[in-house]
Parts: sequence; structure tokens; C-alpha cells
Amino acid sequence: MDLHDLTAAYALDALDADDVEAYEAHLAQCDRCRTELAELGETATALAFGTEAPEPPTRLRGAILDAAASERSNVVPFPRRPWVFRVTAAAAAVAACAAVGLGVWGASRSTKTEAVSAVVVVGADRHATLTVSGLARAPHGKTYEAWIIPHGGNARPAGLFAGGGTAVVHLRGTLPSGAVVAATVERAGGVKAPTTPPVLSAET
Amino acid sequence: MSRPLAHLSDEAVVLLAARSEESALAELYDRYGRTAYGLALRVLRDERLAEDAVQEGFLAVWRTAARFVPERGKASTWILTLVHRRAVDAVRREQRRRADTLERAPEPAVGGVDEDAWLRLQRERVQEALRLLPDTQREALELAYYGGFSQSELAERLGQPLGTIKSRMFAGLARMRELLGEPGMEMSWTSTT
Repeated sequence: MDLHDLTAAYALDALDADDVEAYEAHLAQCDRCRTELAELGETATALAFGTEAPEPPTRLRGAILDAAASERSNVVPFPRRPWVFRVTAAAAAVAACAAVGLGVWGASRSTKTEAVSAVVVVGADRHATLTVSGLARAPHGKTYEAWIIPHGGNARPAGLFAGGGTAVVHLRGTLPSGAVVAATVERAGGVKAPTTPPVLSAET
Repeated sequence: MSRPLAHLSDEAVVLLAARSEESALAELYDRYGRTAYGLALRVLRDERLAEDAVQEGFLAVWRTAARFVPERGKASTWILTLVHRRAVDAVRREQRRRADTLERAPEPAVGGVDEDAWLRLQRERVQEALRLLPDTQREALELAYYGGFSQSELAERLGQPLGTIKSRMFAGLARMRELLGEPGMEMSWTSTT
């Protein structure tokens, strides 16, 4: 049996139970099959969108969330706020991601807490993308400036964004291991070094 | 309903779920729960079993979110695969459906005005792509994916060599990929706000 030929069936969940294990072992060693599976798997899943989709019973959502919550009571709790997520090394160190959400910053730091969340996704080539949502638009004449701060080093300017809605910032340069990604409010056009306290920072 | 994570990408929400953030799991359910349930119902044809499959699938999302690798595929594909796998396992255990899977899914109890326009659009495009496939390929994909038949069961049922079934599944998926790859065919969740 040529294991390469099983990719389509695996993508459709149509392998016989006996073949699944053999195929998965093969998959771990075969770049070609992994690439093919990524494509065919996505197409197979498109079939899920081809079905009629009646509204599920409302109790289902609650049942799932309750079950998830009760499972979590058995694990070590993760500190809630402020969240600073360390980069989690993904399988085989292919990629790493860090997410951070902050309580916080609004224009004038009013008492009304604004939910800001930010996610840093680091690619295998160490280039990173910062996605921020919930951050108020920078005041007139100002901009947000992203920074990469290597461990023990000085902040490097990594890009500008306006805030408001969701901003996706492809950070300039690469992200050294252990660096901090931060953002500050600066004058329009940006500056070479941060001049204000960060509105968000993520240790990676 | 307040959805504080509504602006985040699927992949970012999965990252938050990996950090035990329950609102992230709720957000993923709000994005894909309905599609997952429709899929499970199509495979299982039983509301209770479909609910179980969806619940088990989303709990698998919750338990294994930390192992999700964005480079290997989209979060939506990963989530729906987890649900589909459980639905298929259940249908094989139950030995249900079998006789009637060649028929179209029944008309939904709800739909029309109630159904999200985006979901309806996706469904129409996927169904149109299926219609454009040669009959033998469409049959293989539908029986496998919606019917939960394994490739050897398909070979027996259709009276064809296993190699022929494999070829039909591969060719069918490859052709579907081309058809769905045409502009505007984006299957992932997008914000409508």
C-alpha cells in the first residue's frame, strides 16, 4: 500500500481505523503529504459549509462552556489579568505565538475600562505580526509606534499604526528570542526611541 | 450578545483558548457552532447524537488548542475537522444512516430568513461546486464525508476496486479545490460588523 495515496481519504475522515495510525506515522515524516493534506483538508472542510445549517439548540452552547469550565478547574490556573503570554514554542519549533490582552488604556485613561487585546504571531523566520484591537484611535497629530525591545537592548522602531478598530502591524525587522513587543503614543511620523510609557507590551 | 473578541482572527482566538480563556471558546462556538451542528446532523441524522459530536469536538478544541499550529492550516478547518471526526466515529459505532445517505439532506426546520446570509452563500457555492463534479467523484465525496463511509466500505458498496475509490476521492477533492479557489470563495469566518 502506498501511503501517499491515502491523503484524500484521510482528509475526508474516510480511512479505515487500521490505516489511520500508519498514515499518521507516515505523515510525520513526509513533507509532500503534509503539504497536500493542508490543501485537501481545507477543501474537505469546505464540504461542512455545504450542508443546511439549522440553529443548534441553545442549551448546546451552555453545555459546552460548562463542561469546558469544569475541566479547567483541574488544571493550574493561568493568571488572569494583566495577561502577558509567553511565546509558546509550537511543535518542532516551527512557529511560535504569543498573545496578550490588557485591561486598559483609553484616551485620558478614564475610569471606563476599555478592552484592548493584542496578539503577536511570530513566524519561523522570526518576522512577527502584531494585531491590536480595541485601542482608541491615536489623538490628532499623534500615532502609535510599535517597538521591538531585545532582551537587555534598546527599543527598535518596528512600525506605525493609527489604532481604532483592528490594526495589523507587520513588525519591521526580526524578533529576537525573549524580546518585548510594545507600543507607545508618539508624534505623527514616529520617533527613533520611545518617549512615553507603553500602552501595551508583550513579553515573547 | 457582547462579543469582545469579535475583531480577532480565528487563529488569535484559538491562542486565547489555549490560555484557558473561556470567552475564546464561546467566540469560536459562535463562529462555527452552527456549521458544526449542521455537519454533525447531516452525518448522524439524529439531533442528540449531533449535539454530542459537536460538544465532544469543541471540548477537543479546548483541550488541544495549545497544539494548534497555524502554519499547518486554518483554525476553522481544524475545528470542523475535530467535530467531523467525532461525528464519523459515532456514525460508524451506531451503524445508522447507511441506507439513506445518497439522498439529499432533509430541508431544515429553520432557514430562509432565519439563516445567516453568509452561511447561505457559502452553502450555495459549495453545492454548486459539488454539482459540477463528475457523478462518480461527487458520490465518493458525499458518501465519505457526509455518510461517514470508510474507503473500503465505499469500495464494497459501489462494487469498485479500492484504487478506484481512492482516485475518485482525490480527483474530486482536487477539482473542488479548483472550483472553490475561484475569486470570492473564502471559507473562513469574516466579521460582518
